[in-house]
Amino acid sequence: MNLLEAFNVSVTFKSFGYEVQAVKDVNFVLPLGSVVGVVGESGSGKSTFARVLSGIQLPTAGHVNYMGQGIQNGKTTYEGELRKAVQMVFQDPYSSLNPRMRIINAVAEAVKIHQQLGKEESIDIARKLLARMGISGIDAQKYPSSLSGGQRQRASVARALSVQPKVLVADEPTSAIDQSAQSQLLELFNELIKDGLSIVLVSHDLGVIRYLADNVYVMQNGSFVENGSASDIFQNPSNEYTRKLISSIPGHKLNS
Amino acid sequence: MTQPLVVIDHLKIDVRVTKARRLAIVDSATFNIERGQFIGLIGESGSGKTMLCRSLVGTLERRGAYISGGTLNFDGIDLVAASQKDWRGIRGKRIGYVPQSALAGPNPVMTIGAQLSEAIRQGEKMDSKQVHNRAIELLNIVKIHRPELVIRQYPYELSGGMRQRVMIACAIAQEPQLIVADEPTTGLDVTVQAEIMDLLQEIRKDLNTAIILVSHDLLLINEICDDIVVMHAGVTVEKLRSSQIKDTRHPYTQALYNSRIDIVEPRGKLVTIKGQPPTVGAWPSGCRFAGRCDFVKDSCSVEKEIPLITVGDNHGTACLQYSEIWK
Repeated sequence: MNLLEAFNVSVTFKSFGYEVQAVKDVNFVLPLGSVVGVVGESGSGKSTFARVLSGIQLPTAGHVNYMGQGIQNGKTTYEGELRKAVQMVFQDPYSSLNPRMRIINAVAEAVKIHQQLGKEESIDIARKLLARMGISGIDAQKYPSSLSGGQRQRASVARALSVQPKVLVADEPTSAIDQSAQSQLLELFNELIKDGLSIVLVSHDLGVIRYLADNVYVMQNGSFVENGSASDIFQNPSNEYTRKLISSIPGHKLNS
Repeated sequence: MTQPLVVIDHLKIDVRVTKARRLAIVDSATFNIERGQFIGLIGESGSGKTMLCRSLVGTLERRGAYISGGTLNFDGIDLVAASQKDWRGIRGKRIGYVPQSALAGPNPVMTIGAQLSEAIRQGEKMDSKQVHNRAIELLNIVKIHRPELVIRQYPYELSGGMRQRVMIACAIAQEPQLIVADEPTTGLDVTVQAEIMDLLQEIRKDLNTAIILVSHDLLLINEICDDIVVMHAGVTVEKLRSSQIKDTRHPYTQALYNSRIDIVEPRGKLVTIKGQPPTVGAWPSGCRFAGRCDFVKDSCSVEKEIPLITVGDNHGTACLQYSEIWK
């Protein structure tokens, strides 16, 4: 069973008469209950593709299916109930939370709107969610500015999970946080995977991908140049570019 | 025996919050930098890494911070007492600086050539032809292709990696004795990061420049530096050779080393450092890692500063329990 599928997706941006093709005719599959990693350098189109999967960006050509059903209807994506199915965690925890809202309210707002509950109930659910993400009572009452990068990123995950999605699209969730905060976040993802959440993990950090992903797609200049199971890609990369990526991981020389 | 290039001893840096209120950002930084040494400084956000870098290039004042105690000595010059005039002879000439953000580093309204010539003109007098040639030479050193074109371009026309190369070119224009590189590869790709690190190593070999590289990536530092200085909550907790990393004598360094994800099986158990680092201004007395440490004892929180204890050749740790932990 494939949860998300992308067929021949292309995205072209037009600016000042130039056309930039960010994503070129790619096919992608996210099986139910699995973690699929997308790796590539900046400018390779990873983030654009992640936005297409989560319905924020409309593809110029091709289409995306959720459970065998197209997500797009004219210019809208994920209509109605479907909207809750796919949620996104953004790259920058410093700009993805409203600085004028307390963390608990930011999460409760999403619960209130999507689950159509009263204020008290939503705050209660939000509190439980945040506690599960390791953000306890006092910290939940704080504004984003008084939390560390790692805590903010976990709060963003809590907000994304508040609507009980089936798929989480995480766009470079660990690139802006410290190493110790990174391990905490990865542990958290690990638990969520055990609970059956499917994740599309976009990253240029191959260490993170190796740790979490079942399948890996390698992206270069808007196309997937290689894909396969994570162990295959890391043990015998067939593509020149993949090999270059793997050899640039710090500490790689240490282990080999 | 020759003098070390930089001597940092119990350096304290405070920030003025209000007229009366002071906040210590760096409390006790202690380490030396030898000539031509590649030294790595590692710590979490808020551990005082960046402030320490700023003290080495004399730009603390601009952030409302100042050195409130300890020694900071560069090649025999006392930098704590240095005036702005003294700094003009040091900053950019004898100490080069590569800033944190490659994307915000270069001035957006100046061409690359104009910025490079500013750096070049700090030294001996040159006519414009010589400056131009030197700029091309510098761009070649940092391996920028088509330097004749790049010299006329603006920063927005270059990629992050290229901008960082330009910043490095500016830093080495006067062939300084020390380059301070404050997280030069944050926000850049792993492949670009590897290229920039190769470049720094080459520069250090060719110009015999000492480099201090700041990062929160222990693996990166361990791979390319000779020596590692570990900072936690404004204090140097350990200094050691990178070859000794497996024989660390501080629980914080050990936790950092063990929390790397490349050694565990996919989805295996990760070692995490529990909790958050103590907040600036609310530092506990005694060992500041005590609240997150697995080996903590009552004696760790005695009300005094824990000095660096020498445990071997070029190896010091600020852990009181090290002999207990590593029997």
